Amino acid sequence: MEYIIKIKKEKKNLFRDKWVWRMAWRDARHNFSRLFLFMSSIILGIAALVAINSFNINLQQDIDVQAKDLLGADFSVNGNRPFEAELIAAFDTIQAAQASEASMASMALFMTSTPGTRLVRLMALKGDFPFYGELITQPADAYTKVRSGPFAMLDTNLASQYDVSSDDSIKLGNQVFKVAGIVEKIPGGNGITSTFTPSIYISLDYLDSTGLVQFGSRVNYKQYFKTQNDEEADQYLEYLKPEIRKHGHSYDTVQGRKDNLGDAFQNLYRFFNLLAFVALILGCIGVASSVHIYVREKRNFVAVLRCVGASGWQAFNIFFIQAIILGMIGSVIGVASGLFIQFVLPTILQEFIPLDISVSVAWQAVIQGLIIGLIISVLFSILPLVSVRFVPPLSVLRTNFKTDIKFSKTRIITIALIVLFPLSFAAYQADSLKTGALFFAGLAAAFGCLALLARFLMWLVKRYFPQQWSFIWRQSLSNLFRPNNQTTVLVVVIGLGAFLVATLNLIQNSLLNQVEFVGGENESNTILFDIQPYQKDGVVKLTEDHTLPIHQLVPIVTCRISSINSKTVREIQKDTTDSIPNWAITREYRVTYRDTLTASEELMEGEYQSQVAQTSDSIFVTISEGMHENLEVGIGDTLVFDVQGIPVTTYIGGIRKVNWPQDPPNFVFVFPEGVLEQAPQVWVLTTRIDEQVRAAQYQRELVTSFPNVSLIDLTLILSTINEFFDKVAFVIQFMALFSIATGLLVLAGAVINSKYLRLRENVLLRTLGALKKQITSMTLIEYGYLGFFAGLAGIVLSLISGWVLAEFFFEVKFFADVSGLITIWMGIVMLTMLVGWLNTRDVIRSSPLEVLRKEV
Amino acid sequence: MSEILAVEHLTKTFKTGESELTVLDDISFSVPEGSSLSIVGPSGSGKTTLLGLCAGLDVPSSGTISLVGIKLNALDEDDRAFVRNQQVGFIFQNFQLLPTLTAMENVAVPVELRGEKGVSKKAKALLERVGLGGRLHHYPSQLSGGEQQRVAIARAFISSPKILFADEPTGNLDEETADIITELIFSINREQGTTLVLVTHNLELAEHTQRIIRMKGGKLVEDRKSMMVG
Repeated sequence: MEYIIKIKKEKKNLFRDKWVWRMAWRDARHNFSRLFLFMSSIILGIAALVAINSFNINLQQDIDVQAKDLLGADFSVNGNRPFEAELIAAFDTIQAAQASEASMASMALFMTSTPGTRLVRLMALKGDFPFYGELITQPADAYTKVRSGPFAMLDTNLASQYDVSSDDSIKLGNQVFKVAGIVEKIPGGNGITSTFTPSIYISLDYLDSTGLVQFGSRVNYKQYFKTQNDEEADQYLEYLKPEIRKHGHSYDTVQGRKDNLGDAFQNLYRFFNLLAFVALILGCIGVASSVHIYVREKRNFVAVLRCVGASGWQAFNIFFIQAIILGMIGSVIGVASGLFIQFVLPTILQEFIPLDISVSVAWQAVIQGLIIGLIISVLFSILPLVSVRFVPPLSVLRTNFKTDIKFSKTRIITIALIVLFPLSFAAYQADSLKTGALFFAGLAAAFGCLALLARFLMWLVKRYFPQQWSFIWRQSLSNLFRPNNQTTVLVVVIGLGAFLVATLNLIQNSLLNQVEFVGGENESNTILFDIQPYQKDGVVKLTEDHTLPIHQLVPIVTCRISSINSKTVREIQKDTTDSIPNWAITREYRVTYRDTLTASEELMEGEYQSQVAQTSDSIFVTISEGMHENLEVGIGDTLVFDVQGIPVTTYIGGIRKVNWPQDPPNFVFVFPEGVLEQAPQVWVLTTRIDEQVRAAQYQRELVTSFPNVSLIDLTLILSTINEFFDKVAFVIQFMALFSIATGLLVLAGAVINSKYLRLRENVLLRTLGALKKQITSMTLIEYGYLGFFAGLAGIVLSLISGWVLAEFFFEVKFFADVSGLITIWMGIVMLTMLVGWLNTRDVIRSSPLEVLRKEV
Repeated sequence: MSEILAVEHLTKTFKTGESELTVLDDISFSVPEGSSLSIVGPSGSGKTTLLGLCAGLDVPSSGTISLVGIKLNALDEDDRAFVRNQQVGFIFQNFQLLPTLTAMENVAVPVELRGEKGVSKKAKALLERVGLGGRLHHYPSQLSGGEQQRVAIARAFISSPKILFADEPTGNLDEETADIITELIFSINREQGTTLVLVTHNLELAEHTQRIIRMKGGKLVEDRKSMMVG
């Protein structure tokens, strides 16, 4: 009989081949714990992504919805001097409800059970402000009382700080106000602003009686308008704009407020997006790593199936189905966890944000999470799974039988997609192809560098192998380069984890370090401002009486720019080709005069003119670096200042680099002596008070004798800022936790992966008489080496990426906390050793025979 | 009797670093349908490689293999897998059961792969035939070595293969169990009229087959009839 068999296979696709679905289930039902690594990677990555994106979406929506509440009106006109009669007349011509506000920094004397003085923001209100949003007071009629007489309301934190009750009084300048209640909520007033400068609210009618508004006082005036609708608001504002500009005032609209808030949150968005990206990429590595381990274990399973006739694709599909289904389950759990975290986020972040953060399901983020979860599980499991197709059936007979790596279209396409995915995802998250490409390039470079380092390490160890070391140390070290070593994989994965975690740490520190603060022993920590010339001697005497040092006593003259290089401000404004920002030419400048530079200044260009001897001499002023770019001026350019109505022609004589936080006050323009001495001016005095009791006594005497003089206690602000940044750090660390947890999963995956290669060897060593202690030591040393080098490499790389991100992406000064980085490094070494040790417990606990039999 | 397996000038070499190692050197023989053949020889003589090539588990470096009238050289791996599923049964020294499948599921796999229905009945009957009627739903880890090999035998015969390849089927078993397994293989083989190709070190076992070929250093050095059967 002749057997002629035609190969007529019925080709079944994934969905029609019931057998693969059955086998996928049969196999998975015993492997849930092993597949846990796979699913947890997806859960953590997607949870971070959904939480962050949902929060971002909700916040954006809240900004949109509550923008009017933030401003409290349809638009406002703002100025730092009382509005001119001409402008007020223009206000009165429009058919809109109006309310007025004047605000200034002032010292308040609390005549309460916990007496004290403190710098506050004094808000004087008139009219029906706010037109939008709620003003919630305790008791409810507090605001009505304030408008009726010498009553004041204060922010909740201020009330609790000084134990203020309704019978208490507060002295502001010369006027004593009875406490009417506390303000729980006011448009634009919640959030971080009130943490730094808590407010006291009085009626505008009583502002004059305080005597606080004197020459040189920095008072901000606002006129609020409520219109019938948005179109009317635009129309009225367009009508008022020329007058507003003419007088050098500014305006604020709902849209403007929205944009400002959006800008303010941009860094937060960016940081959160970076976290989401990192968590997701680590999740992807986790997926690929766990599937790789799983497939390695399933090699024999596949070989048997191939022997009995399963095709390569059928074998592939069994595990592919598992990956897809678990990926879907992982994505759903990840989305649910993300939504849960999203409910927690507003509680943590509420006090930083002047909005009521709503928590609603952001379907866009949910759908995005589900889709991305599925993409990750498919894309990153395909690459390790492709090898299933090429498992030779002959390996059933010969365990070590290997085939040459075959060219596979699937493999090539998958690699291409894997490269494309993080790139496009980064671009999508960052909302910029360039930024996305930068993120991606950074990550790819890190991969490359780590792989090279691993090769170098192996070469180095092999080349300079310490033959004289003891067996245990030699054995552990040689594991790094012997056949089947996992050095490259582990160095890349551990190094990448270290790189990402350290980068996050660096970015966090750089962001937190944005606010540099005066801490040096000889630097000022107290600033007295708004000292009238006639009060100068008295304030100096008071300071000296308290044996306090006077670090600076500087005059401040307010002025405006009227022309630059013979071009008037009006002409510059009209010239559309001119790119000088409007704020720079319309703002009020607070300048000083002195004959030398201070310690916080350095002359970059030009010369410093100390004094103008004769009135006919040219006046050379110096300008701060940065502002010369804004005003587009250089050495020799002409600037005419309007000093209280008198034009003063000056030339740019030099450009100063100013270290603004150091020893304030610092100035944009510094005049030489002999020019502004006769101009109306106020003085600022800086000193240092180290004792709390003395500070309180000094402040009390100052407020009593010079009620209009305000005092900034930098120590108090420093502690407030520290407290604030501690909270921010908590939020950042909370969010970074996802990335770190996913990183740990990846590390565990990589180490488990190497376990299968070391297992048999360790068992053989035990059979030959190696003690448990020796096996443990060898494992710990080997993983210790890996953790040490990989961690170090990751941290070195993170210094580069951290610097690039800080300088160019977040646009903040790069700051590296060395002790923090060393902690991360050591943590990684310990963690690698721990996971390695946990892995060898199997070998140590079981008898060699038991393990050898399992291995057969 | 027509030939079910024909091997002509078969050579297999492996690359080991820079050099090449010839594992099989110009082997030719044929196996008539329904007959039984043992391949014997010392370790490293190439017997397992020869079995793998004959069963289509790998491809030769040169020469041809014709299995059930199909030239295996011309087929890709998936086509060879299809041929194995339709025509070939396997028994391995280390049983090679799928650890996550029960005994019955393990037995059913080759037929399920074909998409046939009512497989459980057939699998159950075969497991009863090998004396494992009471262990249908046990996992491999819950079975002894002998029991695992019986499951493997049931799996090998469930698809009524034209040819059965057995690689040291009693190599991992004690003498008593080995005898039972040998008896099972040969009796079911007789019942189904399957051609048997057996690789073994055990000359006593080899003598149960009609013909014995001896390998040494990758070459076929002897081809004789069994003294016991022949």
